Amino acid sequence: MRLKENVMFVCGKKWKENYTWQPLFVAIFIILIIATTHKAHWEMTTETNPLGVWNERKIVEHDNMTTITYNDETLVNKTTTFKGVLEIFPYTNTSIGSIEQSKGTFDEMDGLVYSEDTYKKCMISLNGMRILVNGSLEGKFYKNEVVTVDASLVEKNYIYERNGAAIKLESQIWEAEIDDIALADERDYYFFGVEFIIFAIGLYFSLNRIKNLKEQIKFAKHIAMFEFRRGLKTPRMIVLGLIFFVFIVGMGMLLGQLQNDPDSILGTMTTKGSIVQLSYFTFMIGSMVAIGVSVDTFHKERQENTMNLLLARPINRETIVFGKALGLTLVVGIPAFIAQVIGLYFMVTRGEMPPIGSVFAFLFFGQVMIFTMVTFQLCLAISARSGSSVVIYGLSAWLLFALVWALVVIAMATVIGVDINGENFENDPDYQQFASRIGLLNPGVIYQMVVGLFTSRTLAVDLEGVPGWLALLSVVLWPLMCLRTATWLFKREMKG
Amino acid sequence: MAASLLELNGVRKDYRIRKYGRVVKTYNALNNLSFKVEKGQIFGFLGPNGAGKTTTIKCITGILKCDEGTISIDGENIEYNHFENKNKIGFLPEQVGLYRSLTAIETLQFYGAFYSLSDSVIDKKGTKLLEILGLGNSSEKTVNEFSLGMRKRLALATALLHEPEILILDEPTSGLDPRGVKALRTLLLDLNKDGLTILLSSHILSEVQELCTDVGIINNGKMIRQESISKIVETVEKTAIKLSLRVNEFNNESEKLLQKKKGIEIIEKKDIGKHKTIILKLKEDLIPWVTDKLVANGINIFSIEPQNTTLEDVFLTETEDENEA
Repeated sequence: MRLKENVMFVCGKKWKENYTWQPLFVAIFIILIIATTHKAHWEMTTETNPLGVWNERKIVEHDNMTTITYNDETLVNKTTTFKGVLEIFPYTNTSIGSIEQSKGTFDEMDGLVYSEDTYKKCMISLNGMRILVNGSLEGKFYKNEVVTVDASLVEKNYIYERNGAAIKLESQIWEAEIDDIALADERDYYFFGVEFIIFAIGLYFSLNRIKNLKEQIKFAKHIAMFEFRRGLKTPRMIVLGLIFFVFIVGMGMLLGQLQNDPDSILGTMTTKGSIVQLSYFTFMIGSMVAIGVSVDTFHKERQENTMNLLLARPINRETIVFGKALGLTLVVGIPAFIAQVIGLYFMVTRGEMPPIGSVFAFLFFGQVMIFTMVTFQLCLAISARSGSSVVIYGLSAWLLFALVWALVVIAMATVIGVDINGENFENDPDYQQFASRIGLLNPGVIYQMVVGLFTSRTLAVDLEGVPGWLALLSVVLWPLMCLRTATWLFKREMKG
Repeated sequence: MAASLLELNGVRKDYRIRKYGRVVKTYNALNNLSFKVEKGQIFGFLGPNGAGKTTTIKCITGILKCDEGTISIDGENIEYNHFENKNKIGFLPEQVGLYRSLTAIETLQFYGAFYSLSDSVIDKKGTKLLEILGLGNSSEKTVNEFSLGMRKRLALATALLHEPEILILDEPTSGLDPRGVKALRTLLLDLNKDGLTILLSSHILSEVQELCTDVGIINNGKMIRQESISKIVETVEKTAIKLSLRVNEFNNESEKLLQKKKGIEIIEKKDIGKHKTIILKLKEDLIPWVTDKLVANGINIFSIEPQNTTLEDVFLTETEDENEA
């Protein structure tokens, strides 16, 4: 009882302390309810575990007959809506060989005998479940897209040859028409749209509660411009900026060439792969410059006593942190943007033009990534008590995120029991799923994911275990969380 | 009676030592500190090292947030409208940190922008302030080229730029040469004449005595005395004064004789050529008794000189009493 009272008291106190952000908290609460409803909607209207259904399939081989059936007989001749990920590119009969070869070939996994009849159809894998589609999906759907399929379980009879004997196949297979397949994003967009509007309303009312908001925005701009002008002149930035410029432009040229050079020892790149790869290089060097420029911001100010004069002004601590983060982002972001555009130009002129969405994501989220790394470093700079700690923290963060992340993922995967002993363990779905999910903890991986996401036409994409919308949410949440943490740490100093 | 411009009420401030984000130790810096600064005063804030002077100033200027109690300016709690209230404060820290790459005028432009002053107003007011503070010829020089005294004057210019109602100075003369100290003193008196209320902390007690109208003595985070300087001195004088006697001799017998009497304390004995100087601390009404007894013992008294009680005496007495308590 007393514990309950204490919890209520602390919650009440915290709620009052955060008067400004109350509308945003309410909005987030509503968004969580909508998100739960969203999830429940899919669960109630579709079968979201196609693999679970598929695993109920029983294959029985007799002397002259093979049967493939499901335990649940009520499924037969009934339409079920499945929601899942197109795991492999929808393949047609041609993908298993020529029409002559395909005649009479029994495929146990697909549960049918390929023949002229199936030649113009295609087989899709929805989370591992095979569905035969009457028609070609070429150019209509792509790998990793999240779709809904209205499929019916039908009974089919085939004859195939085994060891010279004719074998009858009675198979229950899932069948769908092309029109029965739809991207899952249409309904998602309604939910996301409502959530975004609610978030915007909450944010609007919260911002309205900030006293003297206009002045604080003006002050933030003033500090940002001051940091920008000061930062651009530092020898550190000039050296790092030059390295950044040469690296990104050079990598852009290389990736463009690799698209048209099948004999390259570095391997051939696809157009989409090139821009994702370029985003990795941008992160690798961009994060280094961002951390390098902001490494000692607050610590140096503390040492030189410049902060006290600033803090005595009518300016919020949040404004100081935001202004500094914005200014340092501009210091790195503007040269980075120019280098990215030039690098992209060389990549496109030597290779091919990637989807325009990915170009936008590469440039826009590149700036977001730089802002994230700057604010991340600000958190470290505020926390550190000595100059050497600041540098060590910054360097460690860069090494972790940009260079040794893959090794860390492998080590962690081993610890949790993912098999990494295989030759192609990187293509193992379990490992890929683990690497993608753990990648949400790395702003660089998220940046690549988002650029990859924007090479697709929809957000309803599965990025090896991470939904596209989650990657997009992460790329927005990372800088906000870093900024919030930096201001919290900075405000904690005020408490002494 | 003038309205209180600044009022601290029951202010408490603890410093927390953190390890891995957790508070492992807490030091109390201010404990139930209360005092008032009236409009038009020059308030001297005194206290030994570690008494809590700088912490108090940091709490008033919003650099630190107090844990308990209220700080009000013009009757309004600074927590509720810190934007308006900070506009009323000008602050000069003890250790002046300015951005070294900026020129003097750029420094004023940078800090002036936080008071919504336009560049032209800053240029106009700033140039005038730099002239007054003796930096007129250095407005285009970078802070890097400035001496400590010049930096302090420039920081003072940034504190005065927005015409605050109260100017808070933390050890304002530390690092200044005598000419700078004098110029600053004159400037502060002039500003006060124009209606500016000033709160200054200082270790130089003679400076506080000369400059301030009122004084507050803080020790161990508590205000132990707050009064006008004249009243403080008067009170102490009522209790005991210092008396300097120049005599031809002063032996053990004479010393024992004086020490027997309650209320007399021998502070110092000095040989000055053929004569000796004895400084006594005693109540004023005991002076005739002392002179009578010494003369009766065959001692020639060449001079009797009551010494004025200085702020230093008050400061030492008050802080010693507090520590003993």
